[in-house]
Amino acid sequence: MEIKKGIAVSPGISIARSLIIDSEDYRIPRRSINPSQRMIEIQRARNAFKDAIKELTQLEAGQESKEQRKIKDIFAVHLRFLHDRSLRKKITDLVHLESVTAEYAVSATLREIASHFTNVKDTYISERAADIYDIERRLLRRLLGQKREDVEHLTEEVAIVARELSPTQTAGFDKRYVKGLATDAGGRTSHTAIVARSLGIPAVVALEDLTEIVSGGDTVIIDGNRGIVIVNPDSETVRQYEEYSQEFAELEHKLDAIREKPAVTRDGVRITLLGNIEFPDEAELVLQKGGEGIGLYRTEFLYLNRESEPTEQDHYRAYAETISVFKHRPVIIRTVDLGADKYTQSKRFAPEPNPFLGLRSIRFCLQNLMMFKAQLRAVLRASVLGEVKIMFPLITNVAELMQAKMILRDVMEDLDEESIAYNKDIQVGIMIETPSAALMASTLARDVDFFSIGTNDLTQYTLAVDRGNELVSTLYSSVDPAVLRLIRTVVQDAHKAQIDVHVCGEMASEPEYIMLLLGMGVRTISLASPMMPEVKQIVRSVTMEDCNNLVRKVLGMNSERQIAGFLRNAARRILPEAF
Amino acid sequence: MDDFVEHKMKFVDFVCFKAIIPELKSRNRDDVIAELVSALDKAGRLGNGNCEEITKAVIKREDEASTGMGKGVAVPHVKHQVVKDVVAAIGQSSTGIDFSALDKQPVYSVILIISPVDEPDKHLQAMENVFKHLQQDRFRKFLRQSREPDQIEDLLREADESPSW
Amino acid sequence: MQPGEDTLEKVVCEAEVQIKNADGLHMRPAMQFVDVANQFDCDVTVSNGETNVDGKSIMQMSMLAATCGTKLKIKAEGADAQQAINALQELVEGKHFDEPTPTEQGKN
Repeated sequence: MEIKKGIAVSPGISIARSLIIDSEDYRIPRRSINPSQRMIEIQRARNAFKDAIKELTQLEAGQESKEQRKIKDIFAVHLRFLHDRSLRKKITDLVHLESVTAEYAVSATLREIASHFTNVKDTYISERAADIYDIERRLLRRLLGQKREDVEHLTEEVAIVARELSPTQTAGFDKRYVKGLATDAGGRTSHTAIVARSLGIPAVVALEDLTEIVSGGDTVIIDGNRGIVIVNPDSETVRQYEEYSQEFAELEHKLDAIREKPAVTRDGVRITLLGNIEFPDEAELVLQKGGEGIGLYRTEFLYLNRESEPTEQDHYRAYAETISVFKHRPVIIRTVDLGADKYTQSKRFAPEPNPFLGLRSIRFCLQNLMMFKAQLRAVLRASVLGEVKIMFPLITNVAELMQAKMILRDVMEDLDEESIAYNKDIQVGIMIETPSAALMASTLARDVDFFSIGTNDLTQYTLAVDRGNELVSTLYSSVDPAVLRLIRTVVQDAHKAQIDVHVCGEMASEPEYIMLLLGMGVRTISLASPMMPEVKQIVRSVTMEDCNNLVRKVLGMNSERQIAGFLRNAARRILPEAF
Repeated sequence: MDDFVEHKMKFVDFVCFKAIIPELKSRNRDDVIAELVSALDKAGRLGNGNCEEITKAVIKREDEASTGMGKGVAVPHVKHQVVKDVVAAIGQSSTGIDFSALDKQPVYSVILIISPVDEPDKHLQAMENVFKHLQQDRFRKFLRQSREPDQIEDLLREADESPSW
Repeated sequence: MQPGEDTLEKVVCEAEVQIKNADGLHMRPAMQFVDVANQFDCDVTVSNGETNVDGKSIMQMSMLAATCGTKLKIKAEGADAQQAINALQELVEGKHFDEPTPTEQGKN
């Protein structure tokens, strides 16, 4: 049994068998076998070695030029490895002694060897571990077949373990079976955290070397409350956790009871709670948890995990399904916010050196008007089914907004000519997620119907911190005074222009920050459903007067630590059992 | 979606080089639009006797929503059945024209685009090209500095050649 | 001594070598070492003071992960033990795996 500590990013407990995803999406499906199968597994291992050797021999022969010498050397080394008797012996011994599958034996043996490398201080040598993983992949490819087993065909409950998880990988998660997430990398606002919270499953990140000690099929306990992962727990530990899990579920149930109650402060100020979703089937959960509509419908999933681009009809179907759940409540659809991910980078002639600051999001759309148009048409057509609003992400200047609106108008004209119905008065808003947009909010407010402050990206761009980079993720904070000043400016400009302003970043689901947002004038919050009951509880427990006083004090502070500490204490006083 | 293989509308595909006005005579928005439409008409791209009708249509659209994108550029456009292909005229004003742009700044470069009625894709591709280049500070600057029609033509051809301006 | 047996001498040779190339005993030098060792019939064991590994196994040799400056003890057992030791010594210290030493690397 091994206990690893990481960062808790999504609450809950899960006890399940692990499924490991590496960057090539290979899973090690099974570990144990019946002892009578051992000879078969050893033969499988032998065949895998034979095939891999053949493959490598061909590859090595193909590297002829001088520049390819280095690569040729690498293949030569890998070949030596595959020929090495002691390696094979280690693997077959493992199969024999522990009755495990060939892939488990290969993976466990090679990872152990790799760990000898990574433990060496010399970085040049420690990086050679990558070669061992490469050999492992080559053999696993043989053992697990050409068709990659992917996460979309699960038949039992699993906890996903990976180095990190990308939007492409998580788009395929079936939440009936994926019960928890644990990654080596990541921080509080990494994609893993966001997905876990949306699905309402526990997640722990920044575990550093979890993937090195877990093998596919190992049982893991993911404690998303305390930020702990336990590998191969003993029976006493399992029992304790099952008990603890029960208690936690009861607390959640208690909070769910306020679902029907309105989100009103003690002195009568009404707050609107909307949901953030990624897939249509999350819409129901939003309603269940007390949400009054969708404040952020992320549409990227339609593009990820597919062979071809989604058609207008694919878009329309997804939107129609979501809107049908909400009927007359607002559904804000955000146009695709792709970029800096596999989808856009793989389509580029030359990958961008700095995709985070590159052709992403609305810029990408304005350079791919066919794709943009298909989505806009689908949104417009769906707008007759309910109260639909459009939102453009990452608008950084007036020109971008004008261009996007111009295209929207052109698309509307096309629909007019085709006599296709749509809501001509559809509301159009933008996400404020960059310093430039925040500073220009008063100008931008003249031409939109609402703002939605994306605090995740706003914080990243303002503080120049990559939230997914574990080396600097502690610098990321939505309550940094600089970020707060920008948020305040945006809210004030919105009020002056008499347009709605929402907050839809992860900040909106942090109980400690709710009073701050309310005190700054925010009346609509959009967040992932699991946290809704708790946030509503906080709204119902405070007075706006308290919130205003709190903000006055906070605005006089210059240090993020001071602010964060102050907010934590204030929240603890209001809702002690949640902290 | 191959954004480097697909044949996109380049400037040479739709800009009418005979309808380039380096220094517009008109001082206000509506007159500028009329001047540019007239230029396309003189170049024979608008059939016969459609000048006034098209000008009115462009102005009407402009009244509904300004095409002043900010940064001193405007792209008035309209669809009309008289054209079989996308066609554009370019005009510059060194003194600047009020296009009611969102950033409240005057407009120095105007690209007027007339698109065929049944080809929304071509229209979008032309717009995509226009957006891409007008976003570039360098491009806008060179455009404003050009005094002769063939300087502007050269600039556009050069922009077409660069893979990712 | 019985006729027909023990006609081969059990030669045991040892030598201490020091890793001289800047990047240490990474995969490529380890491969070269193993290739040379496998040219001989004798058994070859290598020790870094803590572990003993089979000098003919790339897997075991690469686990040594010896850095520049590390001292290794090579032991060869068999008829051609002396030739093996000579060849390996030449490779490690004479040619330092045809890779630059720290001083040479610093010049670049």
